[in-house]
Amino acid sequence: MRFKIKHNLTADQADKLIEKYYEGFTTVEEERQLKAFLAQTGLPERFKAEQAIFGYFETKQSKPLFNLRSYIRWVGAIAAMFIIGFGIQTFTMYTSSDYAYVDGVKITNKSKIKTQALASLSNVAADNNEVEQSLENLNDNELMKQQLEVFSGLSK
Amino acid sequence: MLLLITCFGILPKLQAQSDLQISKVFDQYGERRGAVMVELTNEMLNGYEFSLFKSITISNNSAASEFIRKYLERDEVGAKKVKQVVTNGVLTSIYLQLPRKGQFYRLILFNETFKPESKITLIYIESKNDSEDVLKLILKKK
Repeated sequence: MRFKIKHNLTADQADKLIEKYYEGFTTVEEERQLKAFLAQTGLPERFKAEQAIFGYFETKQSKPLFNLRSYIRWVGAIAAMFIIGFGIQTFTMYTSSDYAYVDGVKITNKSKIKTQALASLSNVAADNNEVEQSLENLNDNELMKQQLEVFSGLSK
Repeated sequence: MLLLITCFGILPKLQAQSDLQISKVFDQYGERRGAVMVELTNEMLNGYEFSLFKSITISNNSAASEFIRKYLERDEVGAKKVKQVVTNGVLTSIYLQLPRKGQFYRLILFNETFKPESKITLIYIESKNDSEDVLKLILKKK
């Protein structure tokens, strides 16, 4: 008759399983049950040796929660990526992206680009007084709007 | 890694005028014949420092002028008009102060002339300095 494994082993059942374990006949499930049994505290003295054996395997098989070397490696990799990213950003910000297209032909000569830029500014330029007057009007309009709002509040 | 390159390298470039409709004008006509497109970054012009200066001048292209006017109209929303000239019901000149974007003051300048030839000029400016000062400094040079 086959020995039936229960979830909670008794000490006698554990003895039989340990014997079976040493003979090399235990199944994976039985070993799991045995480990669970031996992981308990307050077991009789006779289980100390098996607890040590299974405890040894337990610690060897389980992964450490914190591995400094791998942590440093990850931090290093992330830092390197950020440095590269920051470098790219700085490069794209400060390297010259200045250009001009004249009839579809690209120009990168700085002085020629500036000449074209100044020419376009000259095209939109108006008389200075006209602009100043417009700016003043803009401010006057805002003042009038504020005053109208005050009066509309009084009339309510 | 690709994500980082995208975040750090490309996105800042897209920030410049991505929210504006006139960016389509630069995309559409910038590299065509009969057009002059300029882009300058962190440069002094007329003694004034621009973070971004972008302009396009298109000659003898009525379709382009209609195209620009259409998108200018959309960018006018929320902007202050410093100057506007309408001739025979058609917008021929406008200066727009756009709402600040972060630390940048922004301006759109548009002008169309018909003599000696039909010429449209559209300028987009970003600067850390007040846009009213930009206008005064640029335009008094004429």
